Amino acid sequence: MKSGNSRAVSLEERRRFLLLGLKITGVFVGGSVLSLVPAPEVRSELLGASVVGTYPYQPHYAMLIYKDRCIDCERCIEACRQTNNVPSYGSRNTILTRKKSGIAASKMIREFLPVLCNQCNRPPCVRVCPTKATYKDKKNGIVMMNESLCIGCKACMTACPYNARYYNRELQAVDKCDFCYRKRLQNGDTNTACAEACPAGALFFGDLSKHENEIYTLLHKPEQTILVLRPESGSMPNVFYLQG
Amino acid sequence: MRMMISRKLFFLFSILTVLPGIVPTALGQEYGGGPIVFIKPVRAVIFEHRYHLGKNFDCQSCHPDLFEKKAGAVEEKDDFTMESFNQGRYCGKCHNGTIAFSVNTKCNWCHIGVQGHKHLEEYELGLK
Repeated sequence: MKSGNSRAVSLEERRRFLLLGLKITGVFVGGSVLSLVPAPEVRSELLGASVVGTYPYQPHYAMLIYKDRCIDCERCIEACRQTNNVPSYGSRNTILTRKKSGIAASKMIREFLPVLCNQCNRPPCVRVCPTKATYKDKKNGIVMMNESLCIGCKACMTACPYNARYYNRELQAVDKCDFCYRKRLQNGDTNTACAEACPAGALFFGDLSKHENEIYTLLHKPEQTILVLRPESGSMPNVFYLQG
Repeated sequence: MRMMISRKLFFLFSILTVLPGIVPTALGQEYGGGPIVFIKPVRAVIFEHRYHLGKNFDCQSCHPDLFEKKAGAVEEKDDFTMESFNQGRYCGKCHNGTIAFSVNTKCNWCHIGVQGHKHLEEYELGLK
C-alpha cells in the first residue's frame, strides 16, 4: 500500500478490501456448500437434538453394560469364541482392566470394562472402507461385514475408536462383532451369546425401538448417568455403560 | 574360658532373634501357603488370610464349621456360589453387610478376574 506510515491504512484501501471480500463470498453463497461429510450428516448435525434419543431402526439393537458388575470371568469371550468361530489369536470382544488406586485393602483390586463393537450410528469404519465391505444395515442398524469384498487393508481397524475389529486369517477378512446376528438373531434367538453367558448380569442386550422392552426402561431410568466410550470421536455408539 | 562364654552367648543370641521369625504369629501370617485363589465356578477369586486374622477373629471363627482346613478344598463343592453367600453360607456368614461388607458390594475386592490371576501368577508368585 502507498501510505507513508506502514501501520495506518487509508479509508480508500479499507473500502477496496471489503468490497473484494464481499465479491468472494458472493461466489460461495451462490454455489453449494463444499463439504467432506455427506449432506444428510451435515443436516442432522445442524438439527442437533433431534438425533440423540431417537431409535430409527426396526429393530434398533443396543447393549447396556453395567461396568461395575464385570468380574473378568471372561465367559463372554469364551461364549463368543464358540458361537462365532473366533480364532485364538483374535477376539471380537475384550475386557479392559486397570488397577484401582487409593484403596488400602489389597493391591490386587482391579476394575474391568467389557468392550465390543459399539455398532455406531456414525461408524468411522464404514466411512474409511475402500470397497464398502462393511456397511450399516438399513433395517437393524448392525454394522455388518461382507467378507467377500474385504481386501484386508485394515483401514477399518485403524479407524475404529474402540479397537473392536481384528483380522481373521482363515476368512482372509476383518471380523467384528455383529451382535450374533448371523448365528443367533437371524435364527430367531433374541439374545447374544455374551449377554447370555455373563453370570453377573453385566451385559444386557435388546431392541430399543419398542418402548415396552426391558432394555428401554433400563436405559431411560430418570436421573441415571449414561456413559459411552470415546464420545469425542463423534461415532455415536449404541453400547451404553451404566453404573450400578 | 572367655571364648566358650562368648560362643554360648552368641548361640543364645541368635536363637532368641531367629525364633520369633520361625514361630508363626497370628497377624501377617499367610496360612495355606500364600493367597488362596479359586478358579471354580468363576476364575478367579482371591482369599488372603492376613486380612481376616487379627483381634476379632481367630482360626475357630471359620474352621472347621464354615471351611475345611485345606486350601482350595471348598471350591470342589457345588454350592460354592454367590447364591449360597446370600443365604449366609461360607463367606456370607460374615460378609452380610453387618459383620463385614456385603457380598453384593465391592465385587472386585475378591474377584480379581482372569487377568488378575495371570498377573498374580507371573509377578507375585513367580510361577511363570
